[in-house]
Amino acid sequence: MVSERAAFLTQMVEVLTSTVSFGERLNNMVHLLARHLKVDLALYFGLDKARETLALNISSAGPVPPHLRVEFPLGQGLVGETASTRKMKVVHRHQPGVLEDNAALEKLNPAYHTLAAFPVADDNYLYGVLILMDRGDRSFTPTERQSLQLACLMLAGALRQAIVQEEAKKRIAELSVLFEVGKALSSTVELEELLERIVSTTAKVITARGAALHIIDAASGEPLVSSRYGQIPPECPTLPKMEVRGPGEPPHFTGQTPDAQGRMHYCLAVPLTFKGQLQGTLAVYDKFMPDGEFASFDPENRQLLFTMAGVIVNAIENALTYQQVEDLAEKNLRMVKNLTALQEISQVMLTSVQEDRLLEILLQGLTLEQGLGFDRAVVFKVDEATQTLKGAKGARRPAKSNALPNAKALLLPPPDEIPVSDWEIPLRTDQGPLALAVLKKRSYHYSQTSKEVGIPEALQEKFVAHEFFAVPLIVKDRATGVIVVDNQASGRPLESEPLHALQMLATHAALVLENAHLYSTIEANNRELLLIRERMLESDRLAALSGLASGMAHEIRNPLVSIGGFARRIAKQVEASSPLRGYVEVIQEEVTRLEKLLREILDFTGENLSYYGDHDLTKLIEDTLVLVQRDLDANKIQVKKEYADLPRLHCDDRQMKQVFYNLFQNASQAMPHGGTLTIRTYRMEKPDGLYEAAAISDTGGGIPMEVLHNIFNPFFSTKDYGTGLGLAIAQRIVSRHYGQIEVNNEIGKGVTFIVTLPVAKYCLVKDVGQDAVPASALKAPKGGHR
Amino acid sequence: MKKILVADDEMSIRLLYSEELKEEGYEVYLAANGREALEIVDAVPLDLVILDIKMPEMDGIEALRQIKEKRPELPVVLSTAYGEYKQDFATWASDEYLVKSSDLEDLKAVVKRHLKE
Repeated sequence: MVSERAAFLTQMVEVLTSTVSFGERLNNMVHLLARHLKVDLALYFGLDKARETLALNISSAGPVPPHLRVEFPLGQGLVGETASTRKMKVVHRHQPGVLEDNAALEKLNPAYHTLAAFPVADDNYLYGVLILMDRGDRSFTPTERQSLQLACLMLAGALRQAIVQEEAKKRIAELSVLFEVGKALSSTVELEELLERIVSTTAKVITARGAALHIIDAASGEPLVSSRYGQIPPECPTLPKMEVRGPGEPPHFTGQTPDAQGRMHYCLAVPLTFKGQLQGTLAVYDKFMPDGEFASFDPENRQLLFTMAGVIVNAIENALTYQQVEDLAEKNLRMVKNLTALQEISQVMLTSVQEDRLLEILLQGLTLEQGLGFDRAVVFKVDEATQTLKGAKGARRPAKSNALPNAKALLLPPPDEIPVSDWEIPLRTDQGPLALAVLKKRSYHYSQTSKEVGIPEALQEKFVAHEFFAVPLIVKDRATGVIVVDNQASGRPLESEPLHALQMLATHAALVLENAHLYSTIEANNRELLLIRERMLESDRLAALSGLASGMAHEIRNPLVSIGGFARRIAKQVEASSPLRGYVEVIQEEVTRLEKLLREILDFTGENLSYYGDHDLTKLIEDTLVLVQRDLDANKIQVKKEYADLPRLHCDDRQMKQVFYNLFQNASQAMPHGGTLTIRTYRMEKPDGLYEAAAISDTGGGIPMEVLHNIFNPFFSTKDYGTGLGLAIAQRIVSRHYGQIEVNNEIGKGVTFIVTLPVAKYCLVKDVGQDAVPASALKAPKGGHR
Repeated sequence: MKKILVADDEMSIRLLYSEELKEEGYEVYLAANGREALEIVDAVPLDLVILDIKMPEMDGIEALRQIKEKRPELPVVLSTAYGEYKQDFATWASDEYLVKSSDLEDLKAVVKRHLKE
């Protein structure tokens, strides 16, 4: 008997120390007990602490099918009672209450008679209850009971060991998970990528179907960043409210919500606590079970999530710091770049005093990649007279940037100009930021989200901008214009940093542009003064000459007519053979010459009235050519004509013919041995209007340099004949028509006289029903000093 | 024989014109100013008048006006040393305006035309 017991205990120890899995060992022990005690059935009920129930885990009859997994709550039935009392008990079927209390056990062994229960526990814990069932009336000997007690103790020891092992394993698993998480999080400092990793790692570690992370500004409650992974059931809250569940437990959130199909969804969330202003939540959704079902998250998951939250907060804080540092570095770099660009633009702007050039440089600076890099820039100027803003110049950023160094690139004209000359904005406060920038002398950052007027309606078709800067050009507390820039083409947002650069540039540009304006005003005034002085000198000279000449001419003409007339009479009566005939002819010729001189002087002194009409320049030239044709033929001069189709000219035709007559005569006389007279007419666009030009070129070898400056002086002549008044008269007539005569002298080749005449520019008096109006009735417009 | 009056304050011009016109077969009357010219117009059934403009006592323009009042059909030719009034002769109602020249062919042609010869 003793040896039997010893053998049983030996077998027990063998089973417990065998290398098979813990479950297998437990199974083997239950079988061993049944065999040793020769009972029909041995059962082990394990305690589920959380649910306070005991469930059938092992049966000596073999694996337990799900429908036989009977359970007893703590305290109920023999199983529950034993667990509570921790005392062994043997009962029999016929005893009162036994059958009723243990009805569930009927299923396992319907014909049992004896029911024995032994607690499996050590000094501290109860692990479960061992049940023996037999058809016989068994009461178990004290030895048997002793063996059973011993076996139960050994079982408890084994269970305890197993639990410790399991916990150690879990702990190791958790640590390795955290290690993995830490590794994943430390591999990047890019915030966005980090957040993605956090949520995906969290979901994987917890085996959740989805995970989400949100960071908000604690003060304003505004969401800052968020990241999601996997499937997040819409039924669950996105930003769960943390609550304290039990004493000593940190605040967290657990919740479950059924969806439309009645399927339950679970959520577990823990807070992320940052230093400073930030707050966050880390939430996991729907724990995945191996069988594909969803389950709620257990306290272990929660603990793991809390631990992970700590790691995550550190990683995010690092990433945020890194990002701040990087942003700061980038901002500094941009600032340095902008300042360099500003300095270069400012320097290049000092190279010119021409407003148009300065505007070009400014636009280049605003739009070039190496400059401030805006997509588009337009400069408006204030027109004080009309109280409007007028488009001065605009440009778009060139599609491809050139590789020139900045200073050189700035000097190029903008390749993609925007025609803005007809853009106009009234300077009123209801006209949006462009007008306001000038009126209030401050910069505006307009964005379409604000409901105020952006681009005034009149310009909206020409200039579409949803977001722009309007910066005034201010000189000496006076706004002279406004710069508008935007990034409409690329859609890049406008940042505040370039606005500062733009304001600095605007200050400089305003000053430089103002200087250019002053410079050009001074220059124009100077030019005007010089011209006036020249004209006054000339008119003084001419007035003196005119008075003298015309007075003399009249006094001389009458005696000349008599002398010449009587000479002719004498000539008729003198024989052709008589020597007197020659003398008389000399008198006649000389008188004719004097009469011609008188005519020319009178023409020059201009006391002949002018009669203006609309005439065709080509026809005037052609008519005049007829008059000199004989002279041209005599000198064997070829005439080449290039006539342009020109509008009619308002002029005194007789005087104009005189001009061309004199020029043709000069040309003819310059080519006594033949040559080519070239006559070319063309139109000329000048800043102050349309001009017609006639260029008359000869091949007579040109005018010697030393006399060139004298050719328009009255009575200057290089010829032995003529009055020397030809060119002086021509110039006088042309200047009376507000035109100019220029000389293009090529020594050794020939001279070109270019007559330019304004088309109808100064004819303010309307010709009413008369084709001729005295020139004295014509008035030059204000400032028409040309 | 057609009767022509020449009015000019320059004696030499009067002489030259009368010689030339007589040679052409006209009967020539002479006056030294506008007043004399008007007297002759009143006294003689003239066919044509040649008037200088600048004359003492009464100038050619005034004489022209009065002649045209008396005898609107009488052709009057202005002959002057001044070229600059040429454009205005029509407003003065003269029939012709000639700038004086030692070559009298133009004058003779004009006279001939107005006498419709």
